[in-house]
Amino acid sequence: MSRGLVRGAVAALLAIGLTACGGGSGGGQGSDKELTFWMYQDRTPQAGQVIEKIRKDFEAANPGVTVKIVKIPKDDYNTKLGSAVASNSAPDAGILDQPLVSKFALDGTIKEVPAGLINEADYYKGALDTNRANGKLYGLPADQTCVALFYNKKLVPTPPKTWDELKQVAAQVHAADPNIAGMNVPKGDGYGGWMFPAIVHGAGGEMVDDAGKKVLFDQPPAVEALQLWVDLLKSSPRQITDSDKPFENGLAAMTITGPYDVPTIRADFPDLDFGVAPLPYKTEPAGNIGGEDSVVFSTSKNADLAWKWLVFLTNPQNNGQLADALGGFPVNVKAQVVAGGPEQAAFLEQLKVAHARPAVPQWIQINDEIIAPAIESALTGKATAQQALADAAAKTRTLLGWNS
Amino acid sequence: MTAPPLVEQQDLAPGPRGGARRRPVARRRDHLVAWLLIAPALAYFLVFLLYPALSALYYSFTDWNLRSEASWVGLANYTDLLFDDVKYPHFWKSVGVTLQYTLLSVPMTLVAAMVQALLLNAIRRGSNLFRLLLFLPVVTAEAAVGAIWRWLYDPQYGLINSALGLFGIPGQNWLNTPELVIPALAFIATWQCGISMIIYLAGLKGIPGSIQEAAIIDGAGPWQRFWRVTFPMLRPTTFYLVVTGVIAALQVFGLVYVIFSGSGRSVTGGPEQSGLTYVLHLYLFAFRYDAMGAACAMSFILLVFIMIVTALQFRFLKREAA
Repeated sequence: MSRGLVRGAVAALLAIGLTACGGGSGGGQGSDKELTFWMYQDRTPQAGQVIEKIRKDFEAANPGVTVKIVKIPKDDYNTKLGSAVASNSAPDAGILDQPLVSKFALDGTIKEVPAGLINEADYYKGALDTNRANGKLYGLPADQTCVALFYNKKLVPTPPKTWDELKQVAAQVHAADPNIAGMNVPKGDGYGGWMFPAIVHGAGGEMVDDAGKKVLFDQPPAVEALQLWVDLLKSSPRQITDSDKPFENGLAAMTITGPYDVPTIRADFPDLDFGVAPLPYKTEPAGNIGGEDSVVFSTSKNADLAWKWLVFLTNPQNNGQLADALGGFPVNVKAQVVAGGPEQAAFLEQLKVAHARPAVPQWIQINDEIIAPAIESALTGKATAQQALADAAAKTRTLLGWNS
Repeated sequence: MTAPPLVEQQDLAPGPRGGARRRPVARRRDHLVAWLLIAPALAYFLVFLLYPALSALYYSFTDWNLRSEASWVGLANYTDLLFDDVKYPHFWKSVGVTLQYTLLSVPMTLVAAMVQALLLNAIRRGSNLFRLLLFLPVVTAEAAVGAIWRWLYDPQYGLINSALGLFGIPGQNWLNTPELVIPALAFIATWQCGISMIIYLAGLKGIPGSIQEAAIIDGAGPWQRFWRVTFPMLRPTTFYLVVTGVIAALQVFGLVYVIFSGSGRSVTGGPEQSGLTYVLHLYLFAFRYDAMGAACAMSFILLVFIMIVTALQFRFLKREAA
């Protein structure tokens, strides 16, 4: 009796294991055309409905085609995608984080956009540029986002437009109440490193020239940008800004963050009277860009159909809704922005002057391991802005082999 | 698991020692059942532990980004990790951080666990309740632990700074001052010493009451009884806890990852990489910087290091413990 039970249990376990393995094979086969598309898990139930509607519209417009959408939690997405690519079971197409596009492009994991697929002028330049590697286009943007200046209206009546005004306002706030910091100055970590280029572009500079293989973040615009953060620290002590949510709690008068923080602030801090303005600049308005791109994988058997689907996602009819569902702004200049709060105007203005991050495959590593520590050493006074960035640029040149 | 050979089955003829002769077959059947019983565990070991470990060993000699074909680079990953500070600027930093964490957290955890166990062993009533309370930090989800301690260490509202303020000690910016990050993390680990505490408690219960009584009759005070009787009797327990504690501390990851990631923060390991522990560094190279080959090499360097440290502990501590 007990032995029979054991054998039965073992057989059952094996059977379960086998079917589980069998179910894992990738899609894309079958007589009717099936398209597999990977994306992040829905942020809200409404977002799920929007995506479902776009999927049904596409299937109605293309008889015989089924689009299978696989949704994966954002934190696991890159790991799952990497394993799928490694085991030859990548989907036909999928969402891809912007800095990964150049990596995937250069090792042949994703396809180049076919000539004539889109009219490039239909897309925001900054967003489209995040899909370039070696000057070629490897994907279409799906949505875009950026950072801007959030300010506490009680402490800052009119938002600063230039660096000088920014420093002035911050100093005034801190002088009026030494328990309040003028600004939540970014730190020398990966996140601060991501925001830093926006400031550098505001002084007319660039981080790198990837076509010419030149590292430029030791040049005056970048040094001045870092010096700005160092100067701001005088009126923004870290003892105050290192507290939990300093801007939301009214301890910092200004901060730099993105539209993704607006709903949380509204929900958790309903009393905070805040506004959003474009980033202060030195010589020209500028900003950075984030968001998601969409790409077609090299292993896809339905590449033409996959591109058609990606164009469908970014056309003027669908992209406004889709971008809103993904938590960003549309990438198609003709798409209607889903109406939101008064802060939208500032973000949209910012996106017009957005700059894509360098299309260098190792950029995340350079950002985290070289630029972020350099920013931190200047902010803590261990080196001057000039020394820190010169040292970081030298390391980057060696790492990339751009010594010429 | 092959079928039993027929030849042996013919030996089954009953005889004076029939019972003894019957045993081989019965044993063989038992073997089959035994194999079936351990099959799930064995399959798990082979598929999910041994095979990945051997693959990782292979990939540690390659340049691999998870997507394209792995290309053989020999020992380059190992030599670059150890000697190339442009490619891996924070490798040695992460080694230093981890050693510092281990040297602080293991002794602190053991002392706290020992004190808690002694107190629990001494009280007569309510020891179950206190045992539960002291064990709670171990079973609390790591994400919740991280969030709670971020608040406790908060430079503006944190309870820890308020408590220090009562004694006139100025508040610190705990998780944002490079020198304080590792002590702050080690303190959280100490707070989570429940498992060591339970093992010490079991060790205490195992000390025969007669030895303690004999010591009392000989006129030993509580202090002497602890140092001359209890502590020496607990040496095997302490040895076990030191060995397992060091192995766990060298691999610390979850707590650091939770403390230094989240909204508006990034996973780069705290201010000036002061919280960049070895496994966090490894994780970043594996999943953020696309260098799975180098990450595999890092894991094998850690494995060898742990084996050496453990062997040294067995060589020098065990003799003392025995």
